[in-house]
Amino acid sequence: MHVKGKHVILSLVLFVFGYLIAVSYEQAQYLLEENEIAEDWDRAFHYRQQLIDFEERNNELEREINSLRLDLLETEAQLSEEQATLMSAVELKRKLQAYVGELAINGPGVFVTLKDQEYVPSDANVNDYIVHDRHVQLVINELLSAGAEAIQVNGQRIFQDSHVYCVGPVITVDGTSYPAPFTIEVIGDSDVLLAALTLEQGVIDQLVNERIEVEYGTKQIEMEPK
Amino acid sequence: MWLSLLFLAIGIGLGLLSNFSIPAIYSNYISIAILAAFDTLLGGIRAHFEHVFNQHIFVTGFFFNITLAIFLTFIGEQLGVDLYLAAVFAFGWRLFQNIAIIRRRLFDRWEQRKLAKTNKPV
Repeated sequence: MHVKGKHVILSLVLFVFGYLIAVSYEQAQYLLEENEIAEDWDRAFHYRQQLIDFEERNNELEREINSLRLDLLETEAQLSEEQATLMSAVELKRKLQAYVGELAINGPGVFVTLKDQEYVPSDANVNDYIVHDRHVQLVINELLSAGAEAIQVNGQRIFQDSHVYCVGPVITVDGTSYPAPFTIEVIGDSDVLLAALTLEQGVIDQLVNERIEVEYGTKQIEMEPK
Repeated sequence: MWLSLLFLAIGIGLGLLSNFSIPAIYSNYISIAILAAFDTLLGGIRAHFEHVFNQHIFVTGFFFNITLAIFLTFIGEQLGVDLYLAAVFAFGWRLFQNIAIIRRRLFDRWEQRKLAKTNKPV
């Protein structure tokens, strides 16, 4: 085939054209790829950032939980302390109430019964044969000294400001009169109380010497509130 | 004809193989150059159909158009005005016109040939 100048020129032009197109195509592909990579990177960065944010938030919340837990512990400790205080206060109140006779109480203890002598010789003074307030006072004082926790006379509690005195044939305890016999009941350590009462030349001996019939012993004692 | 196609293939192959990378700023230049080349090629084909083809005009037009387009883009870049759009517009406009004319010429030729064929037996 005869090669004309026209063809050579066309070939040259087409060669340049083809080259340009190919380079441009490559370039476009490259740019596209780059874009995609950048996009991928952006997305990864975005998610990573989100993850970091979440983690930070988690950490914050965890710290909050810890501090709240600490608060809770403190509050619980405080509550239990308060409860303990309350309990001891209640205990104290009960005890005090028991002391002042606002509550029914019971416990082991001792009773002493004082009776007038039945037999009175005709030539004797009857006053020497009956129970007087001082006898009762004697017994009460002795019992208090021996560590009595609660005392009652004929079912009436004796307190710090109680008074016992004679009015003719009866004995008055805080304004209430009781006839003989008188039963003094005490709650306390019964061994100690009995020992104190039955001491040689002690209260019982004195009472017997003054011709009073005395009965005593241990028993489970119940006291009503006043 | 085969020589031209061979060279086209060689050009494309070389371009693909050369791994020649152009900075992103200059991608504008290459696109405008391609547009100019394409326009000139089509212009040449059109001229061929119109029987006014001149190889000197074709070759000078090819390189001159490319150079001018690149130069225009360069100036536009310097001035901060997108002057290459003017080139794109002008080349694009002419591209379509040329294609339209080429299509018409081809159609005419085909019709004439058909006419000649049908007339022959008569």
